[in-house]
Amino acid sequence: MTRAMFTRANIVRTLFLGLFLLFTFVPLYWMFITSIKPSDDYLAVPPVWFPTKPTLLHYTAALFAYRGLDGLINSVVIAFAATLLSTVFGTLMAYSLARFNTGGQHLSFWVLSQRFLPPIATVLPIFLIYRFVGLHDTHFGLIIAYTVFTLPVTVWMMFAYFRQMPRSLEEAALVDGCTRWQALRRVAIPLAAPGIVAAAVFAFIACWTEFFFALILTSRTAFTLPTVFRAFLGFQGAQYGEASALAMVSLVPSIILGILVQRHLVRGLTLGAVRG
Amino acid sequence: MTAVPTNRFDALSEWSDRHFKWLLVAPAVLLILALSVYPLLFSVWVLFVNYDFTVPGHAFVGFRNFTRVLADPVARWSLWVTVLLSTINVTLEFLLGLALALAMVRNFRGRGLIMSILIIPLFISPVIVGQAWALLLQRPFGPTNYVLSQILGYEVTIGWLTQAPWNFIALVLADVWQWTPFMFVILLAGLTAIPPNLYEAAELDGVDGWRAFWWITLPQLAPMILLAITFRILDAVRLFDTIFVMTGGGPGTNTYSSSFYLYTLGFTQFHLSEATAGAWIFLLLTAILITFLVRRLLRAEPT
Repeated sequence: MTRAMFTRANIVRTLFLGLFLLFTFVPLYWMFITSIKPSDDYLAVPPVWFPTKPTLLHYTAALFAYRGLDGLINSVVIAFAATLLSTVFGTLMAYSLARFNTGGQHLSFWVLSQRFLPPIATVLPIFLIYRFVGLHDTHFGLIIAYTVFTLPVTVWMMFAYFRQMPRSLEEAALVDGCTRWQALRRVAIPLAAPGIVAAAVFAFIACWTEFFFALILTSRTAFTLPTVFRAFLGFQGAQYGEASALAMVSLVPSIILGILVQRHLVRGLTLGAVRG
Repeated sequence: MTAVPTNRFDALSEWSDRHFKWLLVAPAVLLILALSVYPLLFSVWVLFVNYDFTVPGHAFVGFRNFTRVLADPVARWSLWVTVLLSTINVTLEFLLGLALALAMVRNFRGRGLIMSILIIPLFISPVIVGQAWALLLQRPFGPTNYVLSQILGYEVTIGWLTQAPWNFIALVLADVWQWTPFMFVILLAGLTAIPPNLYEAAELDGVDGWRAFWWITLPQLAPMILLAITFRILDAVRLFDTIFVMTGGGPGTNTYSSSFYLYTLGFTQFHLSEATAGAWIFLLLTAILITFLVRRLLRAEPT
């Protein structure tokens, strides 16, 4: 505790961690400060590090004048629906893959390989098909796109989960006269609940933060929160406050959920990184 | 064991039990076929016609879409930008992530809290990451230029988002900020899995810290390093969001990544067939990379 703390390695380590924490913290802090700063303070030199007259005006402007609230509602609806579909279908598929080795290695590898497709390659034809069948700029269109885009990760997370779960309990249920479906519903799913929740949170965060599909597949009705930022780009003046306020709003659920899945992070990341 | 079906419901439930495993995979497989495989097949037709919103009809044009993209200097530049940025990003993220993992591997007071802060960037939309960095790097009123001026003692007026090479540095900063935690988390997991008795034995043999790192830590960590780098590369080559927000591809076409180039070609110039041809070329290049990396990854798996 005493001498060991002052070794050179320790000082280097502490310094490095401190600097990196600062690096992580500063952009978030600056965005927060900008979101509550009166507009006059944007151009101040030296920069205003601690606003003395905080305001919530930018929040109301971002939510109402820039339709941030509509984006927020769309994001909630779309992310929830896609998460639900992805979790249900993904869990069922993972169970089948883990217990019956359905389709051998080819099927599971094929699902995972979807994760590696560059989005630009699939989104172009999806855009054309969506326009043709009338799914462009609809909630449903984006929901199924997000379902497919999060499925590989859900399947692989749940696959790993089911594989480490003993199959003896389901076998006991089968012996007791349960059908396969009942064994799945009453035994396997309740046992896998913690894994399912973690997978669902990952899927939700992926949908919540996604930008590329939303940018291309939506325009005036089904747009999500990240795409509202388009309004703040370009040279029509500096709506820094509004953009920051909107960013703060959309940060809250991600960070809360992110910290909740912290423990499952490694498995989730390694079996298909969060976004794609 | 199989019961004799007595009515229609029993017959159905018996049928569903018999095909149980296929019924479970069906919804997911059908969705992937509908929204991933079918669009790709559909796009093969788009490749050879002129599907252009600025031109009516879909005339067959053979390989013209490909030759146009291949002849476009912006396309080649964007590929170069993609390779350059993903190499720099992944290298920096790996080195920083490894350093962080080494600094965090042993338990100390406040470790849990630091851990929670370090991983926050992973849960933030890349659009917002871009926004946050754009705010910090704003010229001339941004805090970065101000702080640099104070430190260096003369006025710094770098156009971080509009001047080469500073715009690349800005994009690297944002990407490193977002994805270093990814490397860190995976490498930390790898580090904690190394059996401590290896180090104890090394200490008895009088091996010093650096040699232990070189001869024990790195080889033991190798599979995790490969995994982390593979996943990161496969993501890094699609770089789009931060470019969209921070530089808009500019100045001019200076920071066009491949994804950004294809987006512009397809969705702001509406040359959808050319963009599709470009996307297929990009897909093939990525496929080569995927096959190479994933093969190595599977070979390294201890299973």
